Amino acid sequence: MRLRQYLRGLLVVLAGGLWVSACQKPPVSDPRPRELHVAAAADLRYALEVMRVQFEAVHPGVQLKLSYGSSGQFFAQIRNGAPFDLYFSADVDYPQRLIAEGLAVDTSFFLYAVGQLVVWVPNDSPLKLERWEELAGPNVRRLAIANPQHAPYGRAAIAALQALGLYERVRDRFVFGENVAQTAQFVASGAAEAGIIALSLALAPEMQARGRYRLLPHEHYPPIAQGAVILLPAAQRPEAWAFWRFVQTVEGRQVLASFGFLSPDAVGLWTGWPQG
Amino acid sequence: MDWMAAGVTLRLAAWTTGVLLVIGLPLAYWLATTRFPGRGVIEALVTLPLVLPPTVVGFYLLVATGPEGLLGRFLSLMGVDRLAFTFPGIVLGSVVFNLPFAVRPFTAAFESVDRRLVEAAWCLGVPRWRTFWKVVLPLSWPGILTGIVLSFAHSLGEFGVVLMVGGNIPGVTRTLSIAIYDEVQALNYAAADRMALALVGFALAVLSLTYLLQRKVVRR
Amino acid sequence: MTRLEVDIVRRYRTGFAVAAAWSQPVDRFSVTVLFGASGSGKTTLLRCLAGLERPDAGYIRLGGETWYDAATGYHLPPQRRGIGFVFQDYALFPHQTVAQNIAFGLGHLSKAERQRRVEELLALLELEGLADRYPAQLSGGQQQRVALARALAPRPRLLLLDEPLSALDGPTREVLRRKLRRWLATLGIPAVLVTHDWLEASTLGEQVIVLEAGHVLQQGPIEEVFSRPATTQVANIVGMETVVPGEVLHVAGGLAQVAVGSAKLMALAPEAVNSRVYVCIRAEEVTLLAAPPEATSARNRLQGHVVAIESEGALVRVALDVGFPLVALVTPHAREELRLEVGCTVWAVVKATAVHLVPR
Repeated sequence: MRLRQYLRGLLVVLAGGLWVSACQKPPVSDPRPRELHVAAAADLRYALEVMRVQFEAVHPGVQLKLSYGSSGQFFAQIRNGAPFDLYFSADVDYPQRLIAEGLAVDTSFFLYAVGQLVVWVPNDSPLKLERWEELAGPNVRRLAIANPQHAPYGRAAIAALQALGLYERVRDRFVFGENVAQTAQFVASGAAEAGIIALSLALAPEMQARGRYRLLPHEHYPPIAQGAVILLPAAQRPEAWAFWRFVQTVEGRQVLASFGFLSPDAVGLWTGWPQG
Repeated sequence: MDWMAAGVTLRLAAWTTGVLLVIGLPLAYWLATTRFPGRGVIEALVTLPLVLPPTVVGFYLLVATGPEGLLGRFLSLMGVDRLAFTFPGIVLGSVVFNLPFAVRPFTAAFESVDRRLVEAAWCLGVPRWRTFWKVVLPLSWPGILTGIVLSFAHSLGEFGVVLMVGGNIPGVTRTLSIAIYDEVQALNYAAADRMALALVGFALAVLSLTYLLQRKVVRR
Repeated sequence: MTRLEVDIVRRYRTGFAVAAAWSQPVDRFSVTVLFGASGSGKTTLLRCLAGLERPDAGYIRLGGETWYDAATGYHLPPQRRGIGFVFQDYALFPHQTVAQNIAFGLGHLSKAERQRRVEELLALLELEGLADRYPAQLSGGQQQRVALARALAPRPRLLLLDEPLSALDGPTREVLRRKLRRWLATLGIPAVLVTHDWLEASTLGEQVIVLEAGHVLQQGPIEEVFSRPATTQVANIVGMETVVPGEVLHVAGGLAQVAVGSAKLMALAPEAVNSRVYVCIRAEEVTLLAAPPEATSARNRLQGHVVAIESEGALVRVALDVGFPLVALVTPHAREELRLEVGCTVWAVVKATAVHLVPR
């Protein structure tokens, strides 16, 4: 009967599809020998992309798999066993705690950059960004910052607003981005009229095309010292150390500088262990 | 187009649907035919994921499968060290979250079969399994198909639970919907758009094909 | 001689309970009728017999085989009892053809044997030509016959019928009622039949069990129960007060002349009837007159005298002897007016349409 055949056929197709997909083993928890999983703070999105291309050109057998998010979110995931090899935080606290909990190689800790805060508005914004009081003005109904609970840039933004005496006036206008990149996306898309984001994101071509920014003076917030570690499961892997070294080379630092990151020694901060 | 993410999405949907077929059909049949007084509670539990936010489901799964949780300790006894951030982990999350999309249509389909037909088959000497196969299944097939398609289509777009339980590991737990989220954050709207369209198009195709087939099945 | 022995109690959580006990021979054609209004528990008993429901006490045995025993907790599932069940709404498999429905219980036969058996039943139950139709395309009467054929195909040891004719319209029911008995007798299969229609019961049954609210009020041979109801309750349920044997003298123009006792009655006889019949007359359809009736359309005018008078609720039950025992139901007002008392002469008038003939 036609009907019977239809149903049988459908069953066969379904079963076949399942079998085929089951046969394709998904990449197991142990990544293929030459894959590096990097958990990176969201402000590194464009900078790391450039570094990846450069690094992979020099190390052809290695593939960098980059994941971006808030530093706090990655911290929680790594503590829960997330299979990352390297962790680039937007602060030093999270990496230090990982070391303290025995989840990261203590000798791998180093300061790779110092981030900077900017106020960013879309191109068609009426804000002139000449006076900070504009942020508390009628043109800013919603102000986007990264979620201070787990994003260092969010905490810095709040510190800056407090220092400027604007915090109390704008705190009920906050729109929280899960991480500083989502914060940038909120302002860029118009969900908020203005945002406090990372300079490295403001310098990205995608953001340059969409708006303008003004640097927040350093004295208004504690320096955003960004630290990195190699996580314990990758301690024996040469490619992990290779990338670790690459970030600290001249080429690596140049990429970071081009995205507005300051060199730690330039700011007079301890840089961590010397290059191994 | 992130082909790796597309692969993860398809595999997740296929596995979810497969597992739901295996555990959902017997559960639905039991729900449809039992007179157990606690049946209402079980039904409510099955429907629960529908009304819970994905973050709640994801959170509880993380806790349950973690080193302290019940499920986690049982699994470690079997040699599985961790479910979070693995593909099997997100399959589990997806199965739990899609349970109502499969079991409710299955149950409705089984309930729609006149009990007397089953009894008639029994009185004719046909054992229970063959009765299910030759009477219940053919008559409830449209409903079962609905359940399969719904859970498949729904797990294609699974986001919250997968993100919570799976993290965002490329090639392992980064599904298409998460990849879209990523691209939007990176302001690559074009890439996000392409992937979103592909997802919508595929889901539409699956749904249309199924309703077409259903109409052919029902038309008798 | 192999017999079916049943003695069961089935209790529901609502407090309702059904209890019955009987036995019947199963090595030849025999019919036990479970008779009662809806809710009397008769279907429950049938389902317990089939194994679709589990009694709470008692036993069911067929010959040497135990089907249910409360003492040991043994319960044989329906598949293993070798029964045939005809449901009230037929329960035909809608996704299968008539032939497939009939063959459904024949999985253990070879394809050729199956086909032969199906054809056998199609012929017996007058279903030729319908083998490839679907149940939805059949009339009520045809569906009923397919349900019967399906139940009979695996040669069951016992046939269970749940109100087999109640879903049919009048004329179809008439025809099938007679044929059903013929088929069952031909196949020699013992049966238990549930019904609330006295005509069905008296046509098809030999032994009847009258049930009300789960209790057996009376059981025994049909003519005994129907003509000598143990209580007025039974009489009410049965609804037939006069059941007497008679002999058909001749039939002409759709009317039959029947000799009953020392009287002759005219009855409607739409089809050919046996010469030996039961004559059944409802008491409400008997009109009494104190003087000989003059011109009346009723064909039966019987003279007799009053044997007994009994008040029954709002009505009065009058037992007469008009050449055979006849019961009439009149109002107390009528009794007064006619000055009815034991021994006085009366004339009973019964229309031919009110005289029902049941083959004996």
